[in-house]
Amino acid sequence: MDTTQSHIDAAPLPSARELRRRSNVLVQIVRFLRMNLSMYLLAKRHH
Amino acid sequence: MRSEMARVVVLGAGVSGHTAALYLKKRLGAAHEVIVVSPNSKWNWIPSNIWVGVGKMSATKVVFPLAPIYRRKRIDFRQAKAVAIRPDGDEASPQGAVDIVYTDPMRTGQTERIRYDYLVNATGPKLNFEATPGLGPDGHTVSVCTPSHAVEAAKHFDSVIEELKAGHKQTLVVGVGHGTCTCEGAAFEYAFNVEHELRTAGVRDKAEVIYLTNEHELGDFGVGGMTFSQGGQRITSESWMDSLFRERNMKAITQAAVTKIDPGVIHYTQIDGTENTQSFDFAMLLPPFRGVGLQAFDRSGADITDVVFAPSGFMRVDANYTTKPFDEWTAEDWPSTYQNPTFHNVFGVGIAFAPPHAISRPYATPGGIAVAPAPPRTGMPSGAMGKMVAMTIADMIQSGATAPTHTASMGEMSAACIASTGTGLLTGTAAAMTMSPIVPNFSKHPTTAGRHPTETTGDIGLAAHWVKRVLHTMFIYKAKAYPLWYLIPE
Repeated sequence: MDTTQSHIDAAPLPSARELRRRSNVLVQIVRFLRMNLSMYLLAKRHH
Repeated sequence: MRSEMARVVVLGAGVSGHTAALYLKKRLGAAHEVIVVSPNSKWNWIPSNIWVGVGKMSATKVVFPLAPIYRRKRIDFRQAKAVAIRPDGDEASPQGAVDIVYTDPMRTGQTERIRYDYLVNATGPKLNFEATPGLGPDGHTVSVCTPSHAVEAAKHFDSVIEELKAGHKQTLVVGVGHGTCTCEGAAFEYAFNVEHELRTAGVRDKAEVIYLTNEHELGDFGVGGMTFSQGGQRITSESWMDSLFRERNMKAITQAAVTKIDPGVIHYTQIDGTENTQSFDFAMLLPPFRGVGLQAFDRSGADITDVVFAPSGFMRVDANYTTKPFDEWTAEDWPSTYQNPTFHNVFGVGIAFAPPHAISRPYATPGGIAVAPAPPRTGMPSGAMGKMVAMTIADMIQSGATAPTHTASMGEMSAACIASTGTGLLTGTAAAMTMSPIVPNFSKHPTTAGRHPTETTGDIGLAAHWVKRVLHTMFIYKAKAYPLWYLIPE
């Protein structure tokens, strides 16, 4: 039985702090650098 | 080392075939011949088609002509469609051959038989819209599978926005158009980009956006979902996606096999057997894939298609295709060399190889309709397979290796998936996911759903959007074979 919509309706919403983090340019620049580095290392390690 | 010139024929110039061709030429140089056969004159960076489909990127930004690149790299390019392979030759010669039909406007319809020493089948999928009546641009829905489909989708989407601006409520359905579809990630991306653009246009409150999928739960993506650490806790991709759908006020229908599409109405059956309909004003539903329909013949001309290809039309490679229950499959069943088991100078890579089994648990309705996401083979593993097979073939030609010298199994390889959830330099967002390995290995990682606990990650935010945009530029640079292109990892 498809209960997905009820799961969505009961899912937690991100906090205001989390929403700010997702769009804060300085925080995201750091995330961007970390993400690129980790993806590069992942590709080098496994491919 | 081989003294005479060898000829390698690559069928297909998508991510896998194009990567294979570039690495083959880089390794083999002028001493050996590389021929690429592709019915398309242009290369397409498919992951960005979703942005074309909402009118946020021009189609010209996601394609470029292949001929100038191949001319510069001294790769022989034939704009043609391969129709048959003859792995042990024909009456005239025991050398393997491939039959092609030109699609080049100057030679349309002309046929040719090309001999090869090694063959790489990277033909990708046939977009099987015919599997569901009414599906696709010739039916009642749109698609973003090709740049022209995406341009058409953007036009329809524009008219929906105009209707919304005129005060008319609209229902937009985005998802997959058959119970056995793959690439749910692309449908997910497009759904969220549609939602993002509706908000940007100031008409979100009048629109209902519904994600319709064959996944058993959200976040499955055809890879059985994943778990990862966030804020010191283990969370599932399902709960992660549930939150994102709630945040964006999007509805979802899962466990669904679309069976028919009438104008404005989608018919679908869910795994509990319930038959439902969903009305729509705009629907983008991806088609299922199958092999492109290549035939194979032996030297006497007898049809050996069943030997070389699986019933799905995809090429048999070094996977374990034994029939067994889903719970008995393992990551080790997945291919690692992509060598055809019968003809050892033939390889199948990217979407063209036949997967041994589903990664997500397959289901069926009581009436027997499959609700079973097919395994995705995204750009990262497809590129890695193309490179790996190129290295193996180069070793066979240059060093006389008799067996594959490189491996790239999806049971060991990792993948990064950046799923755009809206574009914009400062307003864009995306969900960045990495998984290692792609096919869960439950014996190696028994407590973390078959995947490495720290190499399987998820993050949402602006940075992930930047990463996706940078990847667009980087991979087009790489595909154009500009200086030091090979330093950019697959």
